[in-house]
Amino acid sequence: MQIARAIPPRFHVFACVMFLFLLVPAITRAQVSEVVTVTTKRTVDIGLMYNGDYIYFFGNIPDASADVIVRLTSTGDAPMTVTRKGKVAFFWMNVKQFTVTGLPLLYKIHSTRPIRQILDPALAKELGIGYDVLKEQMKLELVRGESQPDDRDIVFDGVLKLKQDAILYNIDEQRIEVTGGAIFKHYFRFPSAAKEGTYRAESYVIQNGKLVGKGVDEIVIRKSGIEAAFTRMAGEQPVLYGFVAVVVALGMGLLVGFIFKKGGGH
Amino acid sequence: MEVYLPIAGMSINIVLLAGLGAMVGFLSGLFGVGGGFIMTPLMMMAGIPPAVAAASDSNQIVAGAASGAFAHWRLRNVDFKMGTVLLLGGLVGGTIGVQIVKVLRELGNIEFVMKALYVLMLSTIGGLMFMESLATIRGRGIRKSASPAKPRKASIWSRLPLQMHFRQSNLQTSAIFPFTIAMFVGALAALLGVGGGFIMVPAMIYIIGMPTIVAVGTDLFQIVVTTANVTFQQAVMNHTVDLLLAMILLLGSTVGAQFGARVGRRLRGEQIRILLAIIVLVFAVKFIFDLLLQPANLITLAGGQGGH
Repeated sequence: MQIARAIPPRFHVFACVMFLFLLVPAITRAQVSEVVTVTTKRTVDIGLMYNGDYIYFFGNIPDASADVIVRLTSTGDAPMTVTRKGKVAFFWMNVKQFTVTGLPLLYKIHSTRPIRQILDPALAKELGIGYDVLKEQMKLELVRGESQPDDRDIVFDGVLKLKQDAILYNIDEQRIEVTGGAIFKHYFRFPSAAKEGTYRAESYVIQNGKLVGKGVDEIVIRKSGIEAAFTRMAGEQPVLYGFVAVVVALGMGLLVGFIFKKGGGH
Repeated sequence: MEVYLPIAGMSINIVLLAGLGAMVGFLSGLFGVGGGFIMTPLMMMAGIPPAVAAASDSNQIVAGAASGAFAHWRLRNVDFKMGTVLLLGGLVGGTIGVQIVKVLRELGNIEFVMKALYVLMLSTIGGLMFMESLATIRGRGIRKSASPAKPRKASIWSRLPLQMHFRQSNLQTSAIFPFTIAMFVGALAALLGVGGGFIMVPAMIYIIGMPTIVAVGTDLFQIVVTTANVTFQQAVMNHTVDLLLAMILLLGSTVGAQFGARVGRRLRGEQIRILLAIIVLVFAVKFIFDLLLQPANLITLAGGQGGH
């Protein structure tokens, strides 16, 4: 107290303000805690009978009243060549061609409640959640044809529909279950259209519209066995592959001919 | 039961795939058509990327055609001399056709050109064949058998060099003639990504003047060589051949082709022709609808999500 009285009042105020400035970020930074997550699988092997896979995710929630949003995306660039049809005289044909970049191969969002009730558009944009955020990321390059003002809308809506039909893009706002106020669980379906590569699942815990927890998981999809062998040969030894393809076909054709000769009889 | 196709990058029901192959193989043995013009669209409808569908279809055709050609060979329906002339023309025409395709792809509307060509050709051929075989069945109208037609053809073409006697077909004509037709058909086949039988067989019957069943058998022989060539080139240049897909299809199509050849033996020429005409016309109508009706999705992913 003696010391405090010795320090001039203006410095008091300054010290208190400085303290608050340091404290506030310390409080908010400390609040984004690490979410511990577990998955039933880390690698998906594409074998002969592969028809997609399901992976279950479990994680902890620091507070029972918080919400969870999980975003699963493919990593790496996935440029697409997209064509748009138009009517010329009586016929429908491709009138435009675009190169589309900035959209991932796979994009899935799961949450505990409707997303609009959990966070505001600004935080959604920062975390990359929602189709409108994707649309903003999309880059369109016109390769052929005339540009029109509705190009961006038509292309995004068209691509979105194709992706949803292939179960590559999905937003499910009631997918995540919370048990005992402490653990969240859900599963992601990987369709067979999801290609080889690394996929990242980011689990965000949101409370009162602020990010309070984050966890990251990586899933790797790769081919194995015959699938891998064929893919490798087709890519790296195409001449051998082509030769094998023709010989197998010829062989099968003639073999069946021989079998039927014995069976039919003239 | 699902199977994953490595190059196509998707899984599909194995029974559905083998069944599709069997159906197309049956038609191959029966009519002498490779079946490509049905198989590729059917595969695309099942969700297989177009480039992979076309290349793997060529692979499958080799097997079905080999099986059918073998069956016809044992039934003595294959004119190897004529077949060799035809396949030489087909190889030349096919190579030219691939170059034309490349140019058209750069201009960007290959799919539309293909469908429009299909419609024109299928409706012309199907229509003419239907009318002719119907007339033959009813007993009136022009009989397109080899004997009355031959003197007329012989006088036109006997002045050309490379006269050959084709024993199996019972024909004496210039080799330039079938070579040129085969070249034209080969180019068209490359443009449409098919074996070409549905043009070649009517051309052999009506223009060259071969007996129907010999035309069928000889065409199958010619198809084996030309599609083996296309398959090889597709694998090496475009990496679009899915061998697993082709193998499942050809398991069905080789068996189907054998049954088709046997049934073909029991039918008369004009019966085979009218059936083929009906199938061809059905596809012409299907493609017309494709071109005239607004598609469900104006946006398509060219090059597909799978394949290269």
